[in-house]
Amino acid sequence: MADAAEPAGLDALFDPMAGEWTRVSPALATLRRLTGALPLAVVAIACGVTAALLPAWQWLPALGAVILAGCAVWAWRWAETNRRSWGYAENAEDLLITSGVWFRRLVAVPYGRMQFVDVQAGPLHRLFGVATVTLHTASTETAATIPGVPADEAHRLRNRLTELGETRGAGV
Amino acid sequence: MSDFDASERAGRRTHPLTGLVQGILWAAAAFVAIVGSMLGRGDGNSVTVIMWTVLGAAVGGLAIGLLAGYLSWYFTRFVIDGTELRITRGILTKSSRRIPYERIQSVDVAEPFIARIVGLAELRIDMAGGDESRTTLRFLPLPEVRELRRVLLARAHGVEVEAEPDDDARSLITRVPPDRIIVGTLLSLDFLGAIVMLVASIVIAFVSRQVLFAIGGILPFGGAVAQIIAKRVLEQWNFTLSRGERGLRIERGLLSRTSQTIPYDRVQGIAVKEPFVWRRLGWQRLEVDVAGYAAQSDDSGHNSTSTLLPITDPALAEAVIAELVPARTERLTIDRPTRRSRLFAPVGWRFRWIEARAGAVVSQTGWIERTTCLVPHRKTQSVELRQGPLQRWRGVATVEVHTPPGPVDVDGRHLDATEARRFWNEQLTRI
Repeated sequence: MADAAEPAGLDALFDPMAGEWTRVSPALATLRRLTGALPLAVVAIACGVTAALLPAWQWLPALGAVILAGCAVWAWRWAETNRRSWGYAENAEDLLITSGVWFRRLVAVPYGRMQFVDVQAGPLHRLFGVATVTLHTASTETAATIPGVPADEAHRLRNRLTELGETRGAGV
Repeated sequence: MSDFDASERAGRRTHPLTGLVQGILWAAAAFVAIVGSMLGRGDGNSVTVIMWTVLGAAVGGLAIGLLAGYLSWYFTRFVIDGTELRITRGILTKSSRRIPYERIQSVDVAEPFIARIVGLAELRIDMAGGDESRTTLRFLPLPEVRELRRVLLARAHGVEVEAEPDDDARSLITRVPPDRIIVGTLLSLDFLGAIVMLVASIVIAFVSRQVLFAIGGILPFGGAVAQIIAKRVLEQWNFTLSRGERGLRIERGLLSRTSQTIPYDRVQGIAVKEPFVWRRLGWQRLEVDVAGYAAQSDDSGHNSTSTLLPITDPALAEAVIAELVPARTERLTIDRPTRRSRLFAPVGWRFRWIEARAGAVVSQTGWIERTTCLVPHRKTQSVELRQGPLQRWRGVATVEVHTPPGPVDVDGRHLDATEARRFWNEQLTRI
């Protein structure tokens, strides 16, 4: 059945209609490694040390250390592949957002349907100079969130989207 | 604080009987909860103990309920001015809610049974978005609530109150006879299932002579039957759909009455549901997506406020849909899942399709209960294309049209990947 799928067509399946994706900041991967992979690695090392010090039952913390180290490596690599999968494109009438490596997603939000735009940045995000931009429509399914947008770009995007939303807004 | 003080001085209170009615409502809820937990334990209490608990629950619940009801009434005030409706409430933590007129989605009048006995009603105001999008103002005399609704609807549409058409100037679309609702409920699969289980558990209890069986079976299934009857028969009793200047009006209920207005331009989508037995008789149920309604659905996911017609024939359903969604119905494209998708829905894949029409997008799904959903293009919030690893393996993808939360869900699942992308591209040009 594999021949039924068209490899050429599938590669283009999640491409924007025109132009290129604007990718999110590489700092997002660093940030996620710091908050995801690093704590896992620290706990893994702690487990390893416990295993070395323990007189008996060493295999238990050792097993934990191996599993946690595996998770840490996976999280480390995931942070970068996932970061690469995020992208957005400003079309004439709508904003496109793509994400996901295994579960790929492409969502288009017409400017006129936007209710409001959120820009969020926690202390760590601010340290790395990135922010999360969220577009809200009347539908909760829209879930149009772009993480890791450089702070300046995030504000430009918010202002631009709000402006476009106001000129095209049709209300609910 | 000044804001609270100002509106507390200027605002007015609701009807003095509110405390009493509210208290009885709360007391009834507390009573049911206490008795339920007592009987639920069922560790062989004697009859006298149960009697005393019931009595205690009734008296205690009533006392607490009345006190709470009175206090909440005393500290609730509302103001209507040129730009917004403001409601201040709370005893210790004050809360003030402002409702700008232009954000109002719909205004409903409800008469819970006890309030109805004393001629009171509550006002329900729905706004778009959020979990707390509904505001209720309870209780006021019925004519006053009706007048308030007229004022709010006029303001929501930005016209002078004097220019607002009179409430009585409406034309009847249909009145669903109660016997039809009863027959329809009797012929629905979940009701039949609950009845069969109830009878079975009674028979088992008699045969085995075990009281435990009786309680374990009769309580949940009897509860399910009672709930279905309450939801689908009592709440939909005398269901009347009429047409007015501003929107469709729904009036329904045997004990508690509800009067809803659905403004024409606030309908986000329509779902036609055809349960298994009904389909053979040509009956349908119509449900509607209105922004703000979905937050009110109960645990079972059944939301009686979103019912547009509880039971109807296709001709009437067609007419009502045509009235709500402009009749540009010529079909542009139709897509069905490919055979490759049968992994995901071995039977269901044959019964799904998504169709683009000139004015709306329509999709159908389900082979036991068939659901057809329709969303006008101008109400489409966003369009999504997605693909998981298994779908990639089968060369399929899902396209979904997003609407505000509610019964309407338009999606084309597991279409051929390139077809799904083509649909996605085309849908963007249509909205």
